[in-house]
Amino acid sequence: MYGIEVNSLSKSYGNFTAVDGIDLKVEQGKIFGFLGPNGAGKTTTMKMLTTLIPPSSGKMSILGIDAIKSPLEIRKKIGVVLQQPSYEPTLSVEKSLEKYGMMWNVDKKIRKNRVEELLVAFDLVDIRKKKNDDLSIGQRRRVQVAREFMHDMDLLFLDEPTVGLDPSARRGLLDFIKGKVKDGLTIFFTTHILEEAEYLCDDIAIINKGKIIAVDTPDELKNKFGRQKTIKIHVGQQENISSLLDGIPDCTMEYDTGCIITVHSSQSEQVLQDILKILASNHILVEDLSVVPTSLEEIFLSVVKNSNESNNSPGQ
Amino acid sequence: MNPIIRLVNRNLTISLNMGFVIWQIVFPLIYIFVAGFAYTALIHQVPFGNKTLDYPAFIATGMIGFNIMNSTLISGVIIWNDRRHGMFEQILVGPFTRAQYILSNVYTIGIIGLVSAAMITAVGYPLFFKQVEFNVLTVPLVVFASITGSILFGSIASIISTRLKSSEGFNVVINTVFLFFAFVSTAFYPAQGAPPILSTAFYFNPLTYLVDVVRAGIFGYFNGMVATEMIVLGIGAAVLFLVATKLLSKLEL
Repeated sequence: MYGIEVNSLSKSYGNFTAVDGIDLKVEQGKIFGFLGPNGAGKTTTMKMLTTLIPPSSGKMSILGIDAIKSPLEIRKKIGVVLQQPSYEPTLSVEKSLEKYGMMWNVDKKIRKNRVEELLVAFDLVDIRKKKNDDLSIGQRRRVQVAREFMHDMDLLFLDEPTVGLDPSARRGLLDFIKGKVKDGLTIFFTTHILEEAEYLCDDIAIINKGKIIAVDTPDELKNKFGRQKTIKIHVGQQENISSLLDGIPDCTMEYDTGCIITVHSSQSEQVLQDILKILASNHILVEDLSVVPTSLEEIFLSVVKNSNESNNSPGQ
Repeated sequence: MNPIIRLVNRNLTISLNMGFVIWQIVFPLIYIFVAGFAYTALIHQVPFGNKTLDYPAFIATGMIGFNIMNSTLISGVIIWNDRRHGMFEQILVGPFTRAQYILSNVYTIGIIGLVSAAMITAVGYPLFFKQVEFNVLTVPLVVFASITGSILFGSIASIISTRLKSSEGFNVVINTVFLFFAFVSTAFYPAQGAPPILSTAFYFNPLTYLVDVVRAGIFGYFNGMVATEMIVLGIGAAVLFLVATKLLSKLEL
């Protein structure tokens, strides 16, 4: 059984199709990253998966339950951190957690213990008596995420949960999530910060203009789409070096004022061999050399760009 | 625990703060004890059915209805705040249905309406105890008025909260509408003696019916007119509740 299984899922508003026949399979106990540019259809998909809005067509099964027939059964088993802030302005931080647990029918004794655990885990102890209305955006976001862990769940939807968090709070949250996954929780995660997806996700789907354009593990996505690499070579001298290297095919080169040559190429191994041969034959000393691995961000930009180009090409 | 009870618990926790309670007691107290006695110089006695009431007794009973109406503003405020602060969507992705959310608001305003009525009855009792005529209908009439009035005015506040998108708009509309209800009614003064247009306008206002039924219960006067007012109040509450429910069900997420 999959945590999420979606077939030909679509959502249209009048003539506008926000989500266009997507297929997804999310294994249980995994973190699934859902990436896409603004307006790509991420939040609409999230709203359908969380049963907040019905799809226009297609099938959805969440935790083995038909999401269209039994939305309430699903909602009892999932947790959702929405992209938009959600809070009760008049309640204090600890009261928010406690009341949220009560709304989920969590036993009073368990609630009490969880409040204390989450206040510590999300660094909220010092502001436990502060009202939500008086918190900063980042503090409020921490409360919103922490609150979702007041109840038990099998699947957690996180829609850009780290927006507004400082780097240390962000890392703390990601590590907390990783810990929960070890306990068997499945997570569906959207983010704009691709380092987060790379750090956290087992599998990633990229959506653009309502369609899924790539699904795989971060490493496989890099293997498939990350052929272009960046090589940085620090040399002892730079006089006439551009005239020596300019004839090398399949690459672009940049020369900066301090003896660093930056090479971009999809044939990096061959290009590197050619460069090193020329440098050695001209007795130019290589002081340092590094190959910068392709980041998920580069993959994302490249995949989205290709998708936009193929959508705009004649005949599409 | 039942999901509706859990939501009612949450609604009461977020709505009932010291400021609200003070407002709900102090505001009517000023009307009852300041306006009530100050206006006695102008309005000595007020006819009500087959009785003649002292003005303080008249306004104290009017304040029961007024307070029920005022307290149900909270229904609109809960929905408005839930939409504004993202809790409406958050609740609906939780273990609740829209119907449970709507019913929890009805129960919340019903409870607040009843408590408000009881509070003002207790506070105003010293002013109207001489003319009180409790009978078998007193409790049913006051409870009926409290519940139908709460649902009716709570529905109006809910409708307003679902239609408006800005805080300023919500505050202006809700205050204007409730100001009209408060002062173009028989809560503060009798319809008899007012200019004909105004006294007619009083009967286009559900607060008039609410207050009349409360007074009928407290002063032991029940006739065909009161029965008609109860029917109008009941139908008005049912229709407005259905409209509010439909609008809430269709609220886009």
